[in-house]
Amino acid sequence: MSVFRSKFFQAVLILVVVFLLFRFGIRPAAPWSVFTLYMFVALIAVLVYVSSNGDSWRSFVAPIRATVLDDSKRPIRLVLMVLLPLLFGYYAYTQAAARIEAPAELRAIHPAPPASISFRGKTLDVQGLENPLRKDAPNLKKYVAEGAVIYIKNCMYCHGDNLDGNGHFAHVFNPPPANFTDPGTIAMLQEAFLFWRIAKGGPGLPKESAPWNSVMPAWEDRLSEEDIWKVIMYLYDATGYQPRRWESHASAGPSPLTLTLSPRGERETSAPSPPQGKRGSPTPSPSKGEGVGEGGLVGAAWAQTTGDPAQGKLIYEKKCLLCHGEKGDGNGPAAPLLDPRPRDFTKGKYKIRTSASGRLPTDADLFRIIAEGMPGTSMPGWKVLPEKDRRDLVAYLKTFAGDAFKEAPKVSDLPKEVASSKESLARGKEMFEAIECNKCHGNAGRGDGPSMPELKDDWGNPVRPANLTKSWTFRGGASAREVAARLVTGLMGTPMPSFIDSVEKPEDVWHVANYVKSLGPEKMDFATILPVRAVQGEIPDDPAAKFWEGQPPHHFPLAGQVIADPRNFNPSVDMVTVRAVYSESEIAFHVTWDDPTPSKPDPKAKTFADQVALQFATRPGEGNERPYVLAGDGSNPVTLLRWSSEGGVGEASATGIAKITPRTGEAVKAKGKAVFADGQYRLVIKRPRGGADPNDLAFPVGRFLSVAFMAWDGGAGEGGAKMSFSSWYYLRLEEPGSNKPYIIPPLVVLVTAALELLVIRGARRRTHGG
Amino acid sequence: MRQWLSVLCCLALAAAVLGGTSQVGAQGGGSIVGEVKFSGTPPAPKVVKVNKDNQACGDEKKSEELVVGANKGIKNAVVSVVGAKGPAPKPAQKPLLDQKGCQFQPHVLLLPAGAEVDIQNPDGVLHNIHTFSTANPSINKAQPKFKKVMTEKFEKPEIIKVQCDAHSWMLGWVVVQAHPHYAVTDEGGAFKLDNVPAGKHKVEVWHETLGKMTQEVEVKAGAPAKVTFELAKK
Repeated sequence: MSVFRSKFFQAVLILVVVFLLFRFGIRPAAPWSVFTLYMFVALIAVLVYVSSNGDSWRSFVAPIRATVLDDSKRPIRLVLMVLLPLLFGYYAYTQAAARIEAPAELRAIHPAPPASISFRGKTLDVQGLENPLRKDAPNLKKYVAEGAVIYIKNCMYCHGDNLDGNGHFAHVFNPPPANFTDPGTIAMLQEAFLFWRIAKGGPGLPKESAPWNSVMPAWEDRLSEEDIWKVIMYLYDATGYQPRRWESHASAGPSPLTLTLSPRGERETSAPSPPQGKRGSPTPSPSKGEGVGEGGLVGAAWAQTTGDPAQGKLIYEKKCLLCHGEKGDGNGPAAPLLDPRPRDFTKGKYKIRTSASGRLPTDADLFRIIAEGMPGTSMPGWKVLPEKDRRDLVAYLKTFAGDAFKEAPKVSDLPKEVASSKESLARGKEMFEAIECNKCHGNAGRGDGPSMPELKDDWGNPVRPANLTKSWTFRGGASAREVAARLVTGLMGTPMPSFIDSVEKPEDVWHVANYVKSLGPEKMDFATILPVRAVQGEIPDDPAAKFWEGQPPHHFPLAGQVIADPRNFNPSVDMVTVRAVYSESEIAFHVTWDDPTPSKPDPKAKTFADQVALQFATRPGEGNERPYVLAGDGSNPVTLLRWSSEGGVGEASATGIAKITPRTGEAVKAKGKAVFADGQYRLVIKRPRGGADPNDLAFPVGRFLSVAFMAWDGGAGEGGAKMSFSSWYYLRLEEPGSNKPYIIPPLVVLVTAALELLVIRGARRRTHGG
Repeated sequence: MRQWLSVLCCLALAAAVLGGTSQVGAQGGGSIVGEVKFSGTPPAPKVVKVNKDNQACGDEKKSEELVVGANKGIKNAVVSVVGAKGPAPKPAQKPLLDQKGCQFQPHVLLLPAGAEVDIQNPDGVLHNIHTFSTANPSINKAQPKFKKVMTEKFEKPEIIKVQCDAHSWMLGWVVVQAHPHYAVTDEGGAFKLDNVPAGKHKVEVWHETLGKMTQEVEVKAGAPAKVTFELAKK
């Protein structure tokens, strides 16, 4: 009992409880910096508590004194003598050897809007501005419906079908797109504030609240005033929130600046980044329960409780109709902009099934796709809906296909699982070649086979074979089990056939699946910063040189450009991999990206040159201020280092997506070379590090600079504004050959040990002396 | 034994009664002969450049979408008697759909409902049988080089497009017959329908790119009825 009364024990107990509470009790997890701040405050509070009076303090110090002085505590003392220095040494090592992280960015959640904005030549006073459409009471429903169509055609890519900021482009951006279902966003704002943010976007944000780096485009040129008010009405209607009203005393502006931390390096804990997110999730879907089971393709876990189609219809009309259409024919208002197109339910042809080729899917198959979504497409997972709703949806979807579902689905058996091994991979490769997967998917699996350009789905739309190196985009899930299931059943409605009757032995589907899994990384970890390594001597020009394989790769996701014409809703290049090094005089970037065909401009075939560009702020701003990410803006120019399959390496200055001016002659300092093989480009682009000319790009060591990436697949008709692009990222030239990690930690260990000895000796002398 | 006989008798009677009520059930068959012709100037046959597997497939393929022979006769049109009844006769040989040289042979295959067909791949390259059905299941099955023969069954009558996605020019048709009275036109556009019951009939022609057309024909026992179709580009 006395243990509990000991102040020391109490203090330790409180600190442990506080630690657990802050570390694991807050969801989503608080950034590390915030956490340490909380812990510090807790520590101070505990110290105040234990030192509140003399007795308390003595009780607190007693066990510490005892440990230092008592002979009976000698073993504990010895253990601590060794442990503490090691602990400090380890901490010093983690600090000294830490990889560079992007600096934290403080930004305002709701920056103050200007008093008035000019909108298409008209001045609108933001203060006190009301949504004019709300006065037209009889037509409110109509406006909301029209707003929904505007939303699905323009906003859904980033902000998502569920308005949760989790659209299929969302993982590309930092800061992430606003989550309208979060009570901290539109529920706290007046409609006028939303109008301003939609009309003026990221470029219209006030300087005081920089760095915002918002990718949000300014929609004023694309959406009319009425369109914007309609979409605002839809946002409130769909989320169920009420806009904040202007208070009677007009002085109450939008909420005061609120500061929040958005440290880039920690985004994975706070905001879902793509590998962890719902979409493009590389983690194998939990198929054992719901989808593929052992032995048969259908899981036993599925209880045959049928849903209610009438209820399903109501949910369908709210959640599915805008893409899949009123008649379920995949022809909703958003459909023409999507690739792959939304499923046409009237044919009963479904890609992801456990049933044999030509057969209808099971209820469990349909349920699973509704719940999990389809990675690599605009179909999100609908786990936000209660399970009953999803079952009702299954029941309703089946009614679109007439009588087709009256027939019981014929489920295919999955052969007994074969684990991946050297032998399995060898057999898989042999079969991959024998059954000619490469015909569509290409020799390296990058979706670049000779039949690729001609492939069409059953509706006559061009369809791309899967890039087998990117398993996180596999429509039916990334696990070997899922890949094997696709080989068994084929993907109905697409050119992907069923292979189960035409492999040499049934288990070959497992070998091929294991081999397919070996073609690319298990999952994709996107980078948050681009460190540039120091190297000695000449940097190789050849992109295929061994040197480059030794450099660590950094992957950056890209999204389609959807604000300027021609818009790119279905970008072909979804990521680039970058390796970067610098020498005394030069900086070099090695860029790798997948593109199924090397293409040249051809007006007849409607193809353009393949291109890639690295974007830098021409004048690196103070602090973290950056130009608008889409090729800069009027007052903030960017410099592009670019390569094109037509003209090779070049440079350009830009002040906007439509204002790109190529540099000529001596102004072009970049040099480089690209190679193409098996559906992949590799490029080396080099440039002097600069510094002498203040108006030119400079790459000094140790400074955080900004870089962004753009790519065009000319063979897919991408050119000009039709491209894919990344967010801004930090780039930093690392200090050369630092030996800090090997020197500092041992020093820390020695110093700690010495201090310990001093403390003990000092304490003893005082006790024995006194 | 006697029971069996009586059952058979009943069945025969029932068949006779049912047949008698139908339009084409009369006793004593005749035949329909005729031609399917192209109206207007036939377009030059399309030629597709082969861009893969040239060793197996050759360098170019003549499209069989529309083959107009001498005298403007259209090959590969399907002529049938509308509403005829009765099961299609079992073919003497198991029907064969060959893919030799990356081309479906025959281009249009007649197949009695419920019959099995051997699908052959002698090419040593991957083909895939991708069917576009509404009545039967639409299948898409791979046939790699080592899988020389696959067998498929089509239960319900319909006209089914067959394609191979690996070779985009490969296109064929399987016509699953509802009854015996089907014919495919030859090079000269000629066809013959045998054993058609005497009486008035509607005869239909179907062509994959030119569509459908029907004509009334009166068939008399013993004498062949003549009919000529003229199909134009739509």
